[in-house]
This record gives sequence, C-alpha cells and structure tokens, in this order.
Amino acid sequence: MTFDDRQTRLQDIIDEPLNTWLDQAVADGNVPIGYTCSYVPRALLSLDGLIPVRVRAPGAAGTEIAEIYLSNVTCSYSRSLLEFAMDDRYDFLGGWVFAAGCDHIRRLLDNLDYLISPDFSHMIDAPHRKGDAALDWYIKELDILLEKLADHFGIDTGEEALNAAVINQNRLHRSLKEIADLRKQKQPPISGTEFQRIMMASLTVPAGDMEKALREIKDSVARREKQTDFRARLMVVGGNIDDTDFIHTIESTGGLVVADRFCTGSLPGLVMLDESNDPLTEIAQKTLLETSCPRMMEDFQDRLGSIIDTAREYDVDGVIVEHIKFCDIWGIETGLLVDGLREAGLPALRLERDYRQTGEGQLRTRIQAFLERMNK
Amino acid sequence: MIVAGCDVGSLTAKAVIMEEENIISQAVVLAKTRPSESAGDVMEKALKKAGLSRGDIRFAVGTGYGKDQVSFVQRVESEISCHAKGAWWNRPAVRTVIDIGGQDAKAIQLDDKGKVVRYIYNDKCASGTGRFLEVMAEAMEVDLEKMGDIGKQAKERITISNQCVIFAETEVVSLINEGKDVSAIINALHRAMAGRVVSLARSIGVETDVVMTGGVAKNSGVFDALADCLNLPVNHLDGIDPQINGAVGAALFAREYA
Repeated sequence: MTFDDRQTRLQDIIDEPLNTWLDQAVADGNVPIGYTCSYVPRALLSLDGLIPVRVRAPGAAGTEIAEIYLSNVTCSYSRSLLEFAMDDRYDFLGGWVFAAGCDHIRRLLDNLDYLISPDFSHMIDAPHRKGDAALDWYIKELDILLEKLADHFGIDTGEEALNAAVINQNRLHRSLKEIADLRKQKQPPISGTEFQRIMMASLTVPAGDMEKALREIKDSVARREKQTDFRARLMVVGGNIDDTDFIHTIESTGGLVVADRFCTGSLPGLVMLDESNDPLTEIAQKTLLETSCPRMMEDFQDRLGSIIDTAREYDVDGVIVEHIKFCDIWGIETGLLVDGLREAGLPALRLERDYRQTGEGQLRTRIQAFLERMNK
Repeated sequence: MIVAGCDVGSLTAKAVIMEEENIISQAVVLAKTRPSESAGDVMEKALKKAGLSRGDIRFAVGTGYGKDQVSFVQRVESEISCHAKGAWWNRPAVRTVIDIGGQDAKAIQLDDKGKVVRYIYNDKCASGTGRFLEVMAEAMEVDLEKMGDIGKQAKERITISNQCVIFAETEVVSLINEGKDVSAIINALHRAMAGRVVSLARSIGVETDVVMTGGVAKNSGVFDALADCLNLPVNHLDGIDPQINGAVGAALFAREYA
C-alpha cells in the first residue's frame, strides 16, 4: 500500500469512534476501554484483552443535548463527547476510565454515570503535584484501578502481565518515534497533518494493527518526496487536538507543523518505560513526571523550559499555542506560555479554538499574519 | 510601474492602483456572494477610472477574507500586514492601527520600521464592527452616513447596556418608545462600540500615534468616542479614504514584489 493510500485508510479509521479494526477486535472478544486524559496510563488499559481507546467525537456538530446537562460555557470537547454518548456512539466501549484532569471532564463523567450508566466507569484521582508523596498517592490510585479492572473484567493484572504491557507499549512507541523523528529533518518527508493522522489512529486502534500499519508506513515514507512547499517550521502546543482539521488549517497557510506538543501529540506523549523497573511504579512515575500538563501546579517553568528546548531541537521558526475555548487549565497557561516564549526569542501566536472545526477563515487569517510577522 | 491592491472583505471590496508613490485610482463596491466576482468588479471599476486595462498592471496583491479566490493577483497578504503597511506608509509615526471594518475589528501594534509587533482581532462578535451601526441605523430609520453628525447633537448622556447586537437593537427600540432622543441614542451607541474596540486594543497595548482605519473611521461619532475612551489623540490617515487602507497596503506589497 502506498503512503497516500495508507493515509486515506487511516483517515477512514479515525472518522468514526468505532473503526473497523476496533470492531474486529471486539468481535474477537477484546474489550475497548475509553479514556479522555493522558494521566490515564494506556499500558494499564491494554492488559489481557483490553484495548485503550482515546475517546473522540469526530465530525462533532452541535451539542444541543449535551448543553442541557453540561452548560454551553464548558469545554466543547467534553460537551461533544456527551453529545455522542447520548447518541449511543460509544456503546461499543466496555467502560470508561477518567483522570481528574479538570472540572469539565469530571462533570462529564458525572453526567455519563447519571445518563448512560456505563457498565464500568472509574475516576483516577491523579495528584496535581510531583514529589514522593504525590507519586505514592498516584501508585495507590493506579492499584485501585487495576483491582477494579481485574474484578470487573476478570483480567490478569499481575506483575508479569504488567511487564508485558510495558514491553508492548515501548514497542509501539518506538515505531511511532521512528516516524515522528523524521520531522526533525530540514525538509521532512511527512507533513504535520499526515503525522497527526497516524498518531490519532495509534490512540484508537488495537496495538497489533497499528504496528503492522507502522511497518508499512516506515517502508513507504522512505520513498516519499520531501516537503518543500512551506514557509515556516512550526510547533503546536496545547491541549486536546484529536483531529487533523486544525493542523491542516495551519498547514494550508504555508506553515509546516514539525513538532506536536499537545495532549494527543507525540511530544512528550511517546514516553519510553524502563523495562527493568517495577512496572507499576515505572508507569506511575513516567506518567506523573513526563506528561507535563498545566493541571500540574508549580511546574510552569519546567514546562516552559521543555517547550523551548523542544522548539530548538526541532528548529522551529515559531510556536502556535492553542486552547479550546473555556478550557480552564490551558486557557490560563497559553497566556503565560506565549509571554515566556517571546521572552526567549521565539515568535508565538495564541489561538483560541473550538473542539469542532469552525471559523477556519478566521484561524487562517491569524496564522497567515503570524507567518508574515516572522517574515516567512 | 503600475501595481494594484485588492481588498476583498465580507461587506465591501476595495481596489487601489498605484504608479510609483501615487494612488492613481481607487474604487469600493458592495461585496457579492462570490469574492472572485467582487474582486473582478472592483478592479474593473478602478481600472476604468484610471483609463487602464488589466495588462497595464505589473503586479497585484490580494488581501481580505476573499483573497484566496481572487484569480488575477499574483500574491496574497493578510489584512493585518496590509493595514499596517498602508497606515505606516501614510503616517510613519503610527504605532497603533485600529481598524473597524464591516464585520471585524482589529488593533495592530507597529514598531518604528512599520513592522507588525502584535495584533488582535475580533471577527466573532458583530458588536464591535460596522455591522453594529448598520443594524442600529436601520432600527432608528436614519442614514448610516449621517449617524456621526446626528450623534453630536445629543443633549443627554445615556448608556446602552447590552453588548450583543441583537439585544442592543431591542434596547434601542425600547429607548425610542420611551421617548429618548435619537441623537442621544446614537451617541450612546458610538460610545458603546468605541468602548469595546478600545478594550480589544488595550489588550495588546496602545501606543501613540494611533490611527483609525476602515469604513467606520468615516463615522465622526465613533472616531471621537474612540479618542475619548482611549484618552489619547486618534488620527485619520492623511488624505486617504480610511476604507481603502487595506488595499493601499496590498498595492504597496505589490510594488515590493514586482
């Protein structure tokens, strides 16, 4: 299959909450578990026949039903998920696991429990700080999750199973990183939109299917023409971007997104776990220390520093810092980040958007002006 | 060398033809549904006024919302860059451009070389745009072009409390039915609108000299209210219709690229 054909196939996959690969996996007796936050370790949801599925609402339009329960001044991601849930679009999920990422997501789970009564739902009380006490707490929380998963789904959550999950996750991340790292090239063979498509598929399909696809992609990408028709290398920083439309809008103005530092991106998402450590401790540690989300307090300077380092590593010309309207944590973070990035000499643009793809013309105008401001 | 700039907005399309440092023709037309048609119409109008044809134009640059649908331009630039360029060419001392168009408003900060430093846009809410005035003019059955002069006759200071165009219109109708003077209502509308735009501009910082551009700059009521709210002098462009500033900027870019 050519690279472009594979892209078309992946787009079909991510255009539906229940894609054909997942459907087949369910038919084979596997259980997809939906999750909405990076503080839910995927490795734990991939034990013994479970499949972690980052829940999305592709093609979401209005949220009129969701607004009855979640109000229209909440994040449109949480509202879109509730809208889809009320429309039975997530009936294929065996359960939901949330982390207490933000109030909007916490209210989403409350409403799901109230309106849909899923067979299995759980909220991980993830700490908002790092340090030994926080890690200890987080490990205990993950232990509780494992106990509940074992109890409800009858799965093996022992150390051997966890070790295998760590190894499997590393293998998938390694394959993804090989493709992700191609964007460090001066003229990468892959656009940000194309890579985003690959990342989103990887978060919503069985790992085995994704690894097979990645092997083909790795072969075919080597034969691709380099990307040359772009004006500037860009990094996108922000929260949940789980569709290709936003990145595509940016790239349609001539910017090439080479670094995807957001919740559903590869940075710092493709964390490698130390296979020699105790698996639960390693999973907890890496998730808590490296996810780097504004929900973590007292950490802003570290986050800013790591974004600046990544921007230099990827040789970006500018950074677009985005947030979904009404997002409390990213809404505050973006203002501070933009100031910090500019002080560090990096051109930065702050963009507010909706979860759904709207206002494309307005977004393009702002991005175009940003590129022009950089003399690109 | 003759160049052109074409600014295709949502309500109007503007074209400017320049020869060296001089504007030799300009035109404004109401926008049609298709930006390509609006652009074609306004460019033809400008060419006819100058006695020129398309072939005489060495380079053309497009800007505005419809810029990507204008087939006869060789390049496009954002309206931010074009408004900045046009204003700085006209008045090099400018450091803040406040542009209020038919359906958007923006504030642009420039450095001493005319380079855009910061900008902020409102293209989501009509209440800080020319559309607000259009709706109100219709509600009060007055001529849009006369609102500035009528507002200056106000003898009473009232406040419009609603931000939303729709609800502000309802409020205006209530005020009329209460017997409030139309001039006082218009004066209040001008101040309300200016206040919102100043709020937008202040979020990126306002430095003198301040220039107001866009069609709404022709409304002396909003212009004066803007200066009052900013508590800073606000300037017109020197000898140029503020509505064509974007097209002037585009033509200046065309001169550079030619």
